[in-house]
This record gives sequence, C-alpha cells and structure tokens, in this order.
Amino acid sequence: MSEPGGHISSAIVTARPEDVATVATLIAKLPHTEVHARSATRIVVVMEAADSAALADRLTVIAALPRVLAAMMVFEQVLNDESIGAA
Amino acid sequence: MNPTRRQILKTQAAAVAASAAGIVTPADAQPLTGADTLHIKWSKAPCRFCGTGCGVMVGVKDDRVVATHGDALAEVNRGLNCVKGYFLSKIMYGADRLTRPLLRKRDGVYDKEGAFEPVSWDEAFDVMASQVKRILKEKGPTGIAMFGSGQWTIWEGYAATKLMRAGFLSNNLDPNARHCMASAAYALMRTFGMDEPMGCYDDFEQADVFVLWGSNMAEMHPILWTRITDRRLSTPDCKVVVLSTFTNRSSDLADLPIVFKPGTDLAILNYIANHIISSGRVNQRFIRDHTLFLKAQTDIGYGLRPDHPLEVAAKGAADPAATTTTDFDSYAAFVKDYTLQKVAALSGVEPEMLHELAELYADPKRKVVSLWTMGFNQHVRGVWANQLVYNLHLLTGKISEPGNGPFSLTGQPSACGTAREVGTFAHRLPADMLVANPEHRKHAEAIWQVPAGLLNPVPGYHAVQQDRMLKDGKLNFLWVQVNNNLQAAPNSANETWLGYRNPQNFIVVSDAYPTVTAKAADLILPSAMWVEKEGAYGNAERRTQFWHQLAPPPGEARSDVWQLMEFSKRFTTEEVWPAELLAANPDFRGKTLHEVLFRNGSVDKFPLTDLATGYACHDSQLVGFYLQKGLFEEYAAFGRGHGHDLGAFDTYHQVRGLRWPVVGGNETRWRYREGHDPYVTPGQGVQFYGRPDGRAVILSAPYEPPAESPDAEFNFWLVTGRVLEHWHSGSMTMRVPELYRAFPGGRVFMNALDARRLRINQGAEVQVISRRGIIRSRIETRGRNRMPSGVIFVPWFDASQLINQVTLDATDPISKQADFKKCAVKIVPVAV
Repeated sequence: MSEPGGHISSAIVTARPEDVATVATLIAKLPHTEVHARSATRIVVVMEAADSAALADRLTVIAALPRVLAAMMVFEQVLNDESIGAA
Repeated sequence: MNPTRRQILKTQAAAVAASAAGIVTPADAQPLTGADTLHIKWSKAPCRFCGTGCGVMVGVKDDRVVATHGDALAEVNRGLNCVKGYFLSKIMYGADRLTRPLLRKRDGVYDKEGAFEPVSWDEAFDVMASQVKRILKEKGPTGIAMFGSGQWTIWEGYAATKLMRAGFLSNNLDPNARHCMASAAYALMRTFGMDEPMGCYDDFEQADVFVLWGSNMAEMHPILWTRITDRRLSTPDCKVVVLSTFTNRSSDLADLPIVFKPGTDLAILNYIANHIISSGRVNQRFIRDHTLFLKAQTDIGYGLRPDHPLEVAAKGAADPAATTTTDFDSYAAFVKDYTLQKVAALSGVEPEMLHELAELYADPKRKVVSLWTMGFNQHVRGVWANQLVYNLHLLTGKISEPGNGPFSLTGQPSACGTAREVGTFAHRLPADMLVANPEHRKHAEAIWQVPAGLLNPVPGYHAVQQDRMLKDGKLNFLWVQVNNNLQAAPNSANETWLGYRNPQNFIVVSDAYPTVTAKAADLILPSAMWVEKEGAYGNAERRTQFWHQLAPPPGEARSDVWQLMEFSKRFTTEEVWPAELLAANPDFRGKTLHEVLFRNGSVDKFPLTDLATGYACHDSQLVGFYLQKGLFEEYAAFGRGHGHDLGAFDTYHQVRGLRWPVVGGNETRWRYREGHDPYVTPGQGVQFYGRPDGRAVILSAPYEPPAESPDAEFNFWLVTGRVLEHWHSGSMTMRVPELYRAFPGGRVFMNALDARRLRINQGAEVQVISRRGIIRSRIETRGRNRMPSGVIFVPWFDASQLINQVTLDATDPISKQADFKKCAVKIVPVAV
C-alpha cells in the first residue's frame, strides 16, 4: 500500500442498526480508511490522504455507499503545516 | 513519517469524532493539541453558508484562515460539519477574488458600453453619487433601489435600511431572501402576527414524527438531518415522512416516502385537515381558546405582469391578501370537499399513504414537527401552503411546546437575523414593523432621531418588480450587495438582464467574486467577506451569533457596512430631503447623510477602547468608533420590551449564540407557551401575543393550480433547487476545488424511462427549452435524485447553465416570491 499522506481526518457515518455492521465492513475496505468505533447507528471513521481533496472524495464515496444515511466530516489534522488546507 | 506520532493523531481524530457522536472510546481526546503546535489561533464563528447556523472554529495563521472544524461547544452542530462547512477556510481564497473597484470606462470616463478598468474608491463613489443625484432629480426616491441579502451581517442590513429609508426616503430596498422565504415570513405574520418559528432545534430530540414538506434536508440541511436521523434510529416508533415531487436522499430514511404531483400539496394539506375533523380529533379546547377562523380571497392570480392573460382573468388579483371572517363549521364544511379519493387522484399519491400521513397528524399521542423550505415558499400559493400546515398544528394544538410545532427552515445564514428581523423587505421596518403603519414610522423616526414625518409610507419595489421596473426604465439605479441576482432571478434573460443593460440604468454590484451579476454591472465594488470583518448572523431558530474579524480583507476590499457609510458622506440633506421638511427642522440643514444617520450620538456612541483585545476591526478603526456595537445597540432598541429582545452586544461575543427574545439574559426556546416564554400572561397557558386578540389564524384556502403546467409541446415539469456540495449560485463553493470536483456542472435529472422514450442516453447533451429560454446541459438518470416520469430537476449553481433563463417569473401574489419549482419545458437532444 502506498504512503497515505499527511492529512488525517475523522468522520461520523450513520446507518440503521441492522445495516451498521455491513456498512462498517464496506468502509474498512477503502484504502487508508479505518473504522475506529461504532455504536448502534454510528460509525467513527478515520481517513488518511495526501491532501484535503482526496479526503473529500473519500467522504463522497462513503456517503454514496448503499445503506449510508449520513456521512459528516468532524476533524482534520495535518502532520505538517505547509499542506494544511491544501487542495 | 513517525509511525508513533501518526498513530497518536489518528487516535485523537477518532476520539474527537467519537465524542461528537456520543460514543465512548478508551482514547483520551485532546482536540487541537496538534494544531496548537502549528501556532494557529482558533476563534469561533458561525458558518458562512446555510440558515442552519452551525458553529465552526476558525484557525488563523499569519493573517490567513488556514483551517476550520466543527465547534464542539456549538449547540446547533456539536462539532459536526457538512462537506461545505468543512472547506469553509477556502471560500475567501479563490484565484479571481476582487480586490479593487472596477468601473466600465471608455476614453477615461464612465461609459456603459466600456470595459471594466480599476478605479479608486473615491472615483467609484463620485461616479456612483453623481448617477444617484441625477436620478433623484429626474424621478425622485422611486428611481433608485438597493437589492441586499440574507447574507448581509445584521449591521450591514441595518445600515442599508437606514440609509435607504431615512436617508434617500426610498423603500425600494429588498433582500434576495424575497426569493427564499418571503412566503414563510408573510404566513407567520398573517397567522401569528409575529415573524419566525415558535420552536427551535431542540424539538428534533423530542418529536415522534417528522414531516418534510418538499424539503430535502439530507442535502440542504445535513447537520439538522443528522439530528433527525439520530432521533429516528434511537427512538422506537419514531416516524419520518418525506413529501417531495421526486425521490431524493432524504427519502432513504423515510418510513413514508411520498411523491406527489407539483402543486397538489395544497390539496393534501386540506385533506389532512378534513381527516382530523371528520375523525373527531380536533383539540376543541385549543381552538376555542387560542384560534380564530378566516377565509382567504381566492382566484388571486400569479404575480405576473398586469397585462398577462392569467392576471386579467383572475377575479381576486386586485387584493390577494384579503380575508373574511368565518367559523369552525364553515371551515369544516369547506375542507370536507377534500376527500381521500379525490386528493389521491389529484396528487397521484396512494390513498393508503395519505391516510397514514393524516393519522400521524391526527393521533393526539404523537408529537409532530413539520419542516419545509423552498418547496412551500417558492410556490405561487406559498403563503397559503405555509398557513395550511399551521392549520394542522392549530387544529390539534400541536404547537409551541417541546417536540410539537411547525418549523420553517431557511436557506441563508442571516435570512432571519438580517432580512427579516432588521426588516430589509420593501414593506418592512425593524422588529416586524411596517412602513405603511404611521405609528411604526413614528417609532422608527424617534429611534433614528430624524424629523417626524420623514419616512416614506409607500412600500417599495419587491425583487421581481425591481427587475421589471429596471427593464421598463422606471427604476434607474440599483445597488446589489452580497448576492448574485442575475443567476438567481426567474426568467432572467427576458427581465433581469435587459434591466441591467438598459442604457438609462446604472447598476452597482458589491461582491467578493466576479459573478455573472457583477459582470453585468457598470461598477463593481470589492467586498470583504465573512471573517474578514466583524459580523453577526441570525439563524432559523432565532439564534443570534457573533464573530470577530479574524483576517484582513485582500487588497482594497472593504466590508459592505463601510461602503454604505462611506457613500452616505456624498449627500447633504438638502440634496435628498424635501425643502419644506428642512424648513420645519432647520437643525438638519447643511448636514451630510453620514452625519445625520451614523454620527447621531447613538451609532457613534462606543469608543474604540471597547474593542475586544486581540482582534482587529478594520471598519471601526477606519471611522474612529466601534460602529458594529453602535449600530447593533441602536437596532436592538426597536425590539426590546415587545417580544423581539436581543441580549447585550458583548455577551454575544462570548456565547455560542442566543435565541430571542432574550429577557433577563435568558433565551427563549418555545415562544407563546407559558413556562417557556416570559411574554405569555401568567394563567393563559398559550398566548399568541403577536396579534392583539392573542389568537392564531386558521385559514380556509383552496387548491388552485400552478401558473403553468405541462402540455402537449412543453411536456415536462421543471423543478429547480440545490445539491449538497454547492450553496445557492455557487459563487463561493464553485471556487473550492474539492467541492467543484465533487459536483462540477449542472445536470438534468430525469426518469430513466422518460430518457429511453426520448432515445437519450445517460450523460447525453440536451437542450432544456421553455417558452422563455433555452439552456444546454447533460442528462442524469442515476444518482441522488430519482425522478418520476414527467418531472425533471435542474440545480441552479452552475453559471455556465443559467437555468433561470428558462424559469417563469410567476410569484405568490401575496408574498411576491417567485415559484422556481413549477414551469413547463421540453427536452430536445443535441444532435452530435
């Protein structure tokens, strides 16, 4: 797997209780994307990428997954400040 | 990369998200410790985009906004961000940001047919002032106008309304909120005597049923949708109903997804009222003690030009807002005609679904929140649609208490705070007062310290009328601030564009970017945006939120409030006020409008030493006093003591907003309900005190058809609207690379079978043609919006596909708000 890059972001994904496990499995298959926690209806996702644009694209992919009701960005951390907010 | 540090940061990011999601993890969250090491200064601000009013933390480094994230302390969003809010930090740094005034010139002087050339602020204002003076001499105050916005900060809107009404004596001031929620505002005034919702977002954690009327909250209000999703998924027997003219992302969560034929929502609402009455579930005590019944004028036309055949034929068009007194029995007899079978046939909805929906409203054990935005408001009977949903809540008493209430959402960050509360509509004054009411004018004149009898009693031109009058040459000067009306206005190719380019007219546009409207103007003024100035917005739940200036504006860009105040220096009272009024009030002679309006001892009352430590405020530093505080406190005097109370200026800089009325430092979450609202007389329980009789209106109004429906030639309904990634005309979001890439161009969402019948493939280029105009776009038969046969959806964010060249300028005749949701078009494939 290639170097994931310096941008780390977390997101919250919402699904129905009966769908949470399936959705979490699908999300975990995406590159540089990890499922860190989940409740009955919510999944905490951490993504890594080279820039903000790639993070936005990945969130769009997650939002479009079957059975996903909502996907919200929460927090972005940048490992070096030159690339903060970079496209 | 140090794997240990990476692991720590990932754990932190997860912990922040888990905290926002209410999930307990073993991780020890310390948000922003990484950012602290980058020397970023973090400050709070409300988001720049929609009317939800999310709180964001804004990170600034070396005078530049470098990052934003959801504010965990903000009650509205609790740390979450939608994708637009997530990229907020980039909206100010588009490559084509305007930094200098630009005037059309030829041979060194202003020429309407000339090319844009950079000029100084002095030259810009000199040319602008000479045009205004010429037009005032020729036509008087009705010859000039201003078109503002629900994106104005509170003090920008206040300075504009004061300058136009008390300076130029013109009520030709209207906000783009006219296109957005004028129907909602009129309906609230007609029903409750006071504008804005009685409930708040706290209802989302307490309701049993959510009914979305034409609103696609999953894309347009995603943070609020997350709260509703959480409630639905965590509460047994909670129901979500989504009514729309097509299936959208909100339908995914719906227990009852209902697709109805455009315009038939009026009939569905009357059927539900009929069901509540005929099944014996009226809250008799509530309607006896707290309501009255009125009957609407009918056959009221479509707000088109007066010579249009539809207007000539409309018998009730002369006085569309008229009502007559009626009673419960007559009302019950009226809605009895809206039977299940009849309404099912008209709306195209299965009878079982309509019955199930009606039961949710009727069941006294279920708490219901109704939500809507443009589906109701951009509607030729938008005021009625709003009022018919109030009927349902009033008949059942499901209103003004936690978890029960009708809730009109807004699309702009300060549609409520500025457009409505400040009163920037052509007929309004601050705090719900009206220009046509002599007592209200007297009150305004006293607060503004201007001569009695100064203010103009005649309401001015509303948005659509401004465009028509510009085209007709009756209005010759227009100053547009913070909006993109050439992209937003209906039937723009035949009305707006011709008005802007009419050789008699001078058009000024203040904006941060060269929008299509700016490019059609004669003078462009570069504006500071969002956190480049100190500001305040009011969101959809009556929450007023402040922010400090956090970064300097680029180049010579200046805030709109500075522009308004600076321009006022170029006029003396003798040039704009009647001679007889000055003769009776000689103290006002020889003064500039700036002195009279902004150096009146009230606006300039607070010294620069009142500015918060650690924050710049360029506007105030330029004028030598704390103008934001002075304008706010003078404005707040309009509302304090009669139900519109705002808190103290300095408090708002500390807290994450307060919901008015703020009495004794406490906000009000549910208005009109004893125990929640201090204005309710003890012992009353419920009191709709906006009206003198303390009662709310139940309105009898029928289904009437749209202005234009599909026929043999123009055989599709056209519905316009937004998508998640872009906000309104896209002038900010299309400049954020991530958002542009996510949804780069407008598309025509179409039913797959319709496309097959027309032999059009997914992605094929087509023309969308109406009786008024044509655009080219591409067909989308998949994706987020699934269209029923005969209906297409086109978003309006894309300036290269101006769908409003195709739409119809029909309006609700009461609210004057255009109907962007219903007109007839045909689809023609582009030959390749």
